[in-house]
Amino acid sequence: MITITINGKEIKLEKAMTVLEAARSAGIKIPTLCYHEQLEKYGGCRLCLVEVEKMPRLQTSCTLMVTDGMVVRTETEAIADVRRGILEFLLINHPLDCPYCDKAGECELQDLVEKYGPTTSRFREKKRKVTENLQDPVIVRNMERCVMCTRCTRMCEGVQGASAIAVISRGGHSHIEPFSGNRYDCEYCGNCVSVCPVGAIMSRLHRHSYRPWQVKENIETTCPYCGVGCTLVAQVRDDVIKRVVPKIGSPVNNGMLCSRGRFGYEFVGHKERLTVPLIKKAGVFEEATWEEAIGLVAKRLGEARDKHGSGAIAGIASPRCTNEDNYVFQKFMRVTLGTNNIDSTARMGYAGAQAFIENIFGQGATGNIISGLSNSDTVLVIGGDPTTVNPILGLQIRACSRRGGTILTVGHVPGLQHFTPMELKPGRRQETLLLECVVTALVSRKGLPGSNQRLEEKIKVVNADIATVAGQCGLHEKEMTDFIDSLAGAGTPAVVIGKELVQACNSGYRLFLACAISYLINGRIYLLCDHANEQGVLDMGCAPDLLPGYRPLSYAEFRKRYETAWKTTLPEKNGLNIFDMIAAAGSGALKAMYVMGENPVFNLPDSKTTVAALQKLEFLVVQDIFMTETARLADVVLPALSWGEKYGTFTNMERRIQRVRKTVGREGMEDWRIVAEISKHMSVRMHYADSGSVFEEITKVSPLHRDLTYDEIAEGATIYPYKGEPLRGATEEIRTDRGMTCPEGGLFLGIDRPLFHSGTLSRMSPALGKICPDAVLRINPETAATLLVADGDIVRVSTATGSLELPAVLDKHADRSVVLVSNIFEGRGVLGLMAAALDPVLGSPVLDTIPATVERVGKAKV
Amino acid sequence: MITFSQTTIKEIEEIRRKYPTSRAALLPALYVAQREFGWLSPEAYTAVSDLLGVPEAIARGVGTFYAMYRNKPLGRHVVQLCTNVSCMILGAERLVDFLKNKYGLEPGGTTADGRFSLVIMECIGACGTAPAMLVNDDFYENLTEKYIDEILEKYR
Repeated sequence: MITITINGKEIKLEKAMTVLEAARSAGIKIPTLCYHEQLEKYGGCRLCLVEVEKMPRLQTSCTLMVTDGMVVRTETEAIADVRRGILEFLLINHPLDCPYCDKAGECELQDLVEKYGPTTSRFREKKRKVTENLQDPVIVRNMERCVMCTRCTRMCEGVQGASAIAVISRGGHSHIEPFSGNRYDCEYCGNCVSVCPVGAIMSRLHRHSYRPWQVKENIETTCPYCGVGCTLVAQVRDDVIKRVVPKIGSPVNNGMLCSRGRFGYEFVGHKERLTVPLIKKAGVFEEATWEEAIGLVAKRLGEARDKHGSGAIAGIASPRCTNEDNYVFQKFMRVTLGTNNIDSTARMGYAGAQAFIENIFGQGATGNIISGLSNSDTVLVIGGDPTTVNPILGLQIRACSRRGGTILTVGHVPGLQHFTPMELKPGRRQETLLLECVVTALVSRKGLPGSNQRLEEKIKVVNADIATVAGQCGLHEKEMTDFIDSLAGAGTPAVVIGKELVQACNSGYRLFLACAISYLINGRIYLLCDHANEQGVLDMGCAPDLLPGYRPLSYAEFRKRYETAWKTTLPEKNGLNIFDMIAAAGSGALKAMYVMGENPVFNLPDSKTTVAALQKLEFLVVQDIFMTETARLADVVLPALSWGEKYGTFTNMERRIQRVRKTVGREGMEDWRIVAEISKHMSVRMHYADSGSVFEEITKVSPLHRDLTYDEIAEGATIYPYKGEPLRGATEEIRTDRGMTCPEGGLFLGIDRPLFHSGTLSRMSPALGKICPDAVLRINPETAATLLVADGDIVRVSTATGSLELPAVLDKHADRSVVLVSNIFEGRGVLGLMAAALDPVLGSPVLDTIPATVERVGKAKV
Repeated sequence: MITFSQTTIKEIEEIRRKYPTSRAALLPALYVAQREFGWLSPEAYTAVSDLLGVPEAIARGVGTFYAMYRNKPLGRHVVQLCTNVSCMILGAERLVDFLKNKYGLEPGGTTADGRFSLVIMECIGACGTAPAMLVNDDFYENLTEKYIDEILEKYR
């Protein structure tokens, strides 16, 4: 116990900390500028100077550690004098343009000067003039206002890990530069914006549109973008989200946000949002009343059911919708329509991979705490770049490296390149072999732990020795043994598995090998997750083989439980998955489809086939917030409320359940309410007053979500398995078949997963559009040279399914045998060109075996 | 796009090996780049940061902090003349005027033909033999107007 006295108040401390932290813990305010709780201590601004007895001069309390018996004074005339002097210096070059500056009202400099003075300046020299810099798409810099606290550079380098900005020049000429916007420099996270104490670095999105004190509400909600589920605070004025800010101390992201979370909120009030129901008459959409539209949907779905049977109807749920929406949707499909034909785009990889992993390790195996990554001593990354798919999770890996942890990657991970990873870069088709070799070597080094016999029997079969594999992969034996040694020596390892593994050739077998590695080193598995509620959509039973609570439908006792709760009889057989649905629609077996918050035409492989299949349906209803490619094919389009306009919950990749809150008002209905209304028209009443009562039902019927309440979720007490029962004992044979033979040689099409977009929502966000406006073709410079393609040239990329014309961008991070295109922008999505086979084990599409040709069709614009 | 010559790449890689981290090798590497390209242009920073694997912002921050890196293009030969106390007492200021009048060389400026740039220095440690100057890396002391003429003649 350490006892110190601050301003005559005795404070007892359990552990060592700085004088500043001790003071704050006791509610004593010490002014600061350069100090920020998220950042490394700096001691630069000198405003936190305090008097300490027996120390000769004033001390910076932010860097001074407490000692027992220390006596500190924080507010004396002498200290105030010094602070006034420091502020006078800071104001020499400050423009004092508070009436015009957006920061006024929440400016730390303004507050300090207001408290300590000076009221006038003794400096008569001319002030430094720097014009406001608007070159950046989302950030405005005004370096006249900068006080050189370096919070932004410490954030960028020490926490975000982007190192995109630095103090340039020296002394009075110092300023912060550059927001370079290269692929792996500025990540547009805007975390510099949140730590800037003055108006030097601010968001352009709300520029001059409101004052901080005009914010009516600060609404805490969960980010709608990726599976990390960051807490964010929406600041609202006049029913418009003016700004999104992070919350320090929030469990997932602790004050950090990425570009999508911070700048991607404008889709909520977008002018292209659907507002009224639309009914297609003679090929043209006409506006309709809710009564008409819902009546028509109920009638047509009912007819389809009665005429063709329940099996002729299918529903697609949404990983962007809340748990409540998805629960009601699957209940509607199962109870009202009587079919298990329900699935979502989680089938693109996440669902199959998770089921595979859970079959080996048990339910909840992927539900590991994201912030725990930074405390691991070793992180193995396989299958993609976590820093772009799940940026905030990526930060934890960077933090792990900074804390001395070892980062191991299979393949090149550009977002971790400055974090001294140990990379093994086999050829694209040799990854399987390499993983086999790692498994074999780990077994010989560490032996089999003996705790999972089923898995060990499969592991024993794997056999590949280092010398041979090194030769085949073109690697040095030494780098491989170093890599394997690091893995074998890991104490608290984590294995991060990305989509490039899950959607690859032999993905089922590769995932088995990744699981084997994780088992042998006793690692925690993190399965990267694209969408905010991808886990929730599965946990809510929006899968052809799952009931709510992630209960397999094939078990009669689970079916019985829900039959009792829902007072119905459930079809025993598993339904069609999303790919079967498209095939069944194409063959004419499926007659009607209900799509909620999803865009299968764009988000499933091979758009031509999907379009043809959907056009064959007798009836298609699409419920969405925008007129998507799929909605255009619909007979009825129902406008739903978006993420920002409704209450509910999301379940993130850790399986943490978090609240989504209404931020702005809008006329219309939540997805679940529309579904319930349709159900009511079909004489199956669903009584829900609000999202809370939907959730209440979930907690009553789902053994996993038992007894949870919104209040508990708000407190953050929602870590898996909550208070419920995870599934135990339901296991199947672990499959290790390889599936298809992987084609060698030639050029293949791949998916570019940019940091700034996620597709459906992000392409409707003007700010993200400014950062990354359009699709490009990323190509390795060497490959480009052989095709005589220069940077910026317009190229046509073609597959057996179709072609796209795009500008080429030379990217040294790209593999030589792959060209990458994103799946974000309308009419220029890569998935549409990929007629993919499905992996027989995971059931996810194999997306790395699509041969592509690239030809130059136009010169770069100069 | 500017690129390093193969010899320079080798030299920088050699430098890199002497230091525990890439960032530690930044100062000497930037110095090599400056020698190679004449000054540290934005492209030079890119080249160095690519070669060392150091973020460009960090390279720029370092290169703009230290006075001996040139962040704007200079003439073919850089004259660095000291005007600190000893040199001043022994007539360095007259030499500044001399350079201005005879060669059109202003402090901080470059001659019209791009042959010389003049940088005024604060003490180059030659007080005993003042006034003194550097031309590129060559050191000259006990300067007079006539001697300067002779020296500059050597640099075309």
